[in-house]
This record gives sequence, C-alpha cells and structure tokens, in this order.
Amino acid sequence: MKIHRLLLSRRDARRNLRSIFGALSLCLAQGLMAAPAGTPPPAPLPTLSPRVPLEITVTKPPAKPTLASLQHDFDVFSWQTFVALNWPANADGSPNTGVTIGQAPNDPVVWQDWRESRTIFMPGGTTPAPWGQDSPLPAVCKNINPKTLPPGTLRLTQVGKTPNVLDESGEPFQTGPLIDQNGEYTRYEILTNESMFDYILSNKLYSKAGQKAFNSDADFPSSQVNAKTVGSIMVKSSWIKMGGKFDPGKFHTAYALVYNNPEEQPGVKPSCVLEQVGLVGLHIAHKTQAEPQWVWSTFEHVANAPTQGQKPSLGAYNFFNAACKDCKVNEPPPRPWNPGNRDTPPSQIERVIAITPDAQQLNDAFHKALAAVDPDSVWVNYELVSTQWPTNAGSKVDPTGVPAPSFLANTTLETYIQGDVRQTSSSCMACHNNATTTTGRFSDFTYLLQRAQ
Amino acid sequence: MNEEMENFIGLSAVLTGFDSSILAPELDPVDIKSEYLPFFTAKIGQPLLSNLLQQYAKLSGEGLTAQQIGEAMLAPANGADFVLACRQLIFMWYSGAWPILIPASATAPASTVSDLISGNTYAAALVWQVMQSHAMGDSNYRYGYWAKPPAALDEYTGQQGA
Repeated sequence: MKIHRLLLSRRDARRNLRSIFGALSLCLAQGLMAAPAGTPPPAPLPTLSPRVPLEITVTKPPAKPTLASLQHDFDVFSWQTFVALNWPANADGSPNTGVTIGQAPNDPVVWQDWRESRTIFMPGGTTPAPWGQDSPLPAVCKNINPKTLPPGTLRLTQVGKTPNVLDESGEPFQTGPLIDQNGEYTRYEILTNESMFDYILSNKLYSKAGQKAFNSDADFPSSQVNAKTVGSIMVKSSWIKMGGKFDPGKFHTAYALVYNNPEEQPGVKPSCVLEQVGLVGLHIAHKTQAEPQWVWSTFEHVANAPTQGQKPSLGAYNFFNAACKDCKVNEPPPRPWNPGNRDTPPSQIERVIAITPDAQQLNDAFHKALAAVDPDSVWVNYELVSTQWPTNAGSKVDPTGVPAPSFLANTTLETYIQGDVRQTSSSCMACHNNATTTTGRFSDFTYLLQRAQ
Repeated sequence: MNEEMENFIGLSAVLTGFDSSILAPELDPVDIKSEYLPFFTAKIGQPLLSNLLQQYAKLSGEGLTAQQIGEAMLAPANGADFVLACRQLIFMWYSGAWPILIPASATAPASTVSDLISGNTYAAALVWQVMQSHAMGDSNYRYGYWAKPPAALDEYTGQQGA
C-alpha cells in the first residue's frame, strides 16, 4: 500500500483506519493472515528520532559502495534529517522528546524557531539580535501586536526563491512566482540554524562592512561526528495559504505574517496579514565533515504536481489542474508580477524528473513509520524528491565535487528550471558553488551573505 | 562494468593518455562512457569494435606498457580501418565530437570537420582537461578562478608526472 498516495486528511485517516481494522478483522476471521512458509519477515520500520544525523551511514561495507547504494544512504540521511527538524519543539526551540513527530500537531517544529534571513541581514547592516531573542517585526506589520502572535509564527516575505540581489547579478535562471490552485502566490522563507547564525554573527558577516573586514572565503562549521556537534544547516521552505481548495488537515500548517514587499516588484503595495499557511516544499542543506559541498535534500507535499509523462494519480493537486487542457506547463505567469493581485491564473506544473523507485520505496517506509505513530499525521503527505551529494568531494579540478544526481529540483522552489540541461537546469551544488559575499569572496554555497547591507 | 566496457575504457585510456579512473570514475553520475560506447559502436560497427577490443585485451594480457599497447594498436599492419577507428576514438574522447573526413576535391584539400555528439560530451571533452580549463560556457569553477593558477595537470589526467 503506498501510503504517500493516499494523501490523508485526519478525517480521511480515521475513516480509512476503520476500514483497515474492519478488513483486518475479516481477514483474521477467515484465516487469511497466515504468511506462506518461507515468506521473509517484513522489513523493520525506520526509526524516528529527534537527533539530527551528523554524517551519512554507509551501509555497504565490506562490499564496495556503489552510486546507487550511496544514493540510498544519502536519502536515508535526508529522511532522518527531515524527521529531526520537523520534530515538535519546546518553547526554546529544542526538540520535545516527550512526544514523537506527528504528535502535538499544533506546536511549531524545530526548524521554525531558526533565524529567518531578514532578521540576520538588517537594514543598514546593524547587528542582529542574538540567537533566541525576538527580532522586531517588519514595519508594514506594525499594526499587529507581536504578543498576540501564535508560537512559531513565520514571516514570509518572498514571492520567489531568488532574492532580488541575485536577479541583479544576472543569474541565468528564469525565475518567477508560483501560483496555487486558489490563485494565490506561493510564499518562501530561508532560515539558518544556530551554528550557521553564530558563524555569521561572530565574523560580522551580516553587514557589507563586516564582510569587507573579514576579507576571506566563508567556511561555515560542518557537523562533527567525534565532537557530536551539529554544523551548519539552512532551510528553504515554501508555503501556500490554507482554505479554498486546500484542507489544512492535509498539510503541516503554521500561522505566518505574509507581507507583500514593495521592493520585490514594481507596483506592489506593502501589506501584512496573519494567515494560516501550509508547507508545500522544504530544502534542507547540511554541511557535513565529509561533504564540504553540503548535502542537499529536498522534500515536497505529495499533491504538488504530477510527473510529466505519467497519468496523474491524484484527483487534485496544489499546482496542477487535470481539467485544464490548454494551460501552458511549467511557465511562469505573465508580468507584471504582484502578490497582492488576487485570482491570478494558477500555474500548471509538472515534475520533469521522476522520483526514483528507490526513493519512492524509502518514502513508503518512512510513511509507514510515521503512520504507525499517528494515523492522522500530516507528515505522511510529504515525500523526499532526492538528495544531491558530492561523489568526489575532494576533487581539485571540480569544486562542485561532481554531484549526484547531476540535477535536482523541487517543483515549488525551482519550478521553471527543472530538467537536465547542463548549466541551465536546477542543480543545487552547481548553482550554489557560484555564491559569493558582497566582496566577491566565496561564500560557502550560500547566497544569503549577498543580502548584507 | 561489463567486460566490453572495461576493455573499451582500457583501450581509451591507453590511446588518450588519461587514467581510466578519470574516464570512468568508480562513482560516475555523469557516465559519459555509456554515451560514447554505443555511439562509437554504431559508427564503426560491432565487428570492428570487437576486433579492436579483442586486440586490446590480448595486448593488455601480455603485460605490455600503455605506450607499447598504444603503438601496437596504431601499427599500420592492423589495417587502415582498424587504425582509423583508433584515431577516431581519440578524436571522440578529446573533442566530444565525431570526425567526418572530407576527401580532397578539385577546389579544396582534404579536411576533417567535427560533428558534436551532445552537450554532455562537449563539456566532458578531454581537450578542456588538457588545457587545465573548462568548456566555454560550462564552468564549475568559482567566481574569480581566473586570477588563480589551475590545479596541476596530473589532477586532470590522473597520470602522475603528466
């Protein structure tokens, strides 16, 4: 049974559970549950842990690992990281070990307490607030009392993953907003964990002046197995507004301050509204000791889009309408782009590179483990697309470390640059390898430092 | 790798001067070899390919050096088609393209033009490695690399003392 294709809402799950229990009772009564002789026992479910893995566990020794076996190991690492970061959080942001992922669904999860880029790179390059302290709300949100905000409230300011500063550098990728089936713009945010934030703060990389004085390539701390320390992790997330065609019971939701930034596009009027939003995409980039090019994991909501060339398996999608026969696939909406415009024609999105069968099996295994904890868990509605990792991390002739797979895209974060064309289609490592500070020094695979003022 | 691919890579390494670990890394997400072998086979035909690879395997089994194997493969006694196929193999790996020989005419001397195989072969062409550089329009180097010396040639070829 492919759980991820069920796309359970809590109501659906309860109904299905009743059906499953009913069927089980029937099977038991008819003696159909006895496994045939010689049938191997079912594989154990993956362990769900709040602990962020520090390094990939290679499962092949003493046999020589292969590209496929290592890809599987990295994919397991991705899922373990996803589980740990989406673990319900205590008030201080640490994982609440009294519950398991999927329980306490209204609590913020671990990564939602991390620092949003806008609170690091302050106007005028001023020093950001220390870790754990609240940052002031954007000016356009000043009519909202911060004390009334629910825990973990997000501040979503971007309507495209690429910040303006990247557009100005002539970044060759065609980017654009992504419109959901309610006609609303998808929203994004980028966050860093404490290790990454501390490096920026202690080296004053939050300002142009600080970067000029630093005058070196950035080298963020990596996770250390021996020291048991978690290194730098950054997260990019994408969200859609709940309601209309979207049932919040099918998503990990949060309350977000969604404000329209007039600096993003001409004609945008500033506004700030508290909305319930649902998670549709999540990039996790983690710098590990053996992977200085970072490990790039990407997850999506299972109902984002069907795969090109395959018959859509779901009745409804977040970014695809099977009934629309003349919709142009994977094309950004015509300009002008303005997130304040309601009822923009929805995007028609298809996944260009299919999720591999091995990743699908791993998704199924983790979905079963998540459903075993709580059949109502929204996390069974998220799937790993793939993990990009360096096959030759120490290469002296290719600083990208020869990534595998060569291309990787999230349909909500690299919507319009999916594919397999070199130097054009989305590749996390090939793209981020070009990232620099505001002084032109290598910024260690993050474009965030370009946001310094 | 099956035996045919192993011999194809072995022969390619001998003829190009690159180490086989560069032409076919153990972890090989680009996998350019799997594009070259069927293309090469289609161009020269299976009988000639088998002949080439059998000859290479025989010489390799005799414990000869790469230099000796290369000279033996390119010896005129092997026949014109055999030697031409070896040279076409070198051309393919170095340029990512297939050589088309245009005979001399009344108005022009004989010449060779390149027929690019694919964007991937263009970027993977060994000529860029020998130049310690990158394909035009396809660089994995970081911003400002042009102001620094490249890595040593043997890092590109996999051959010590290159």
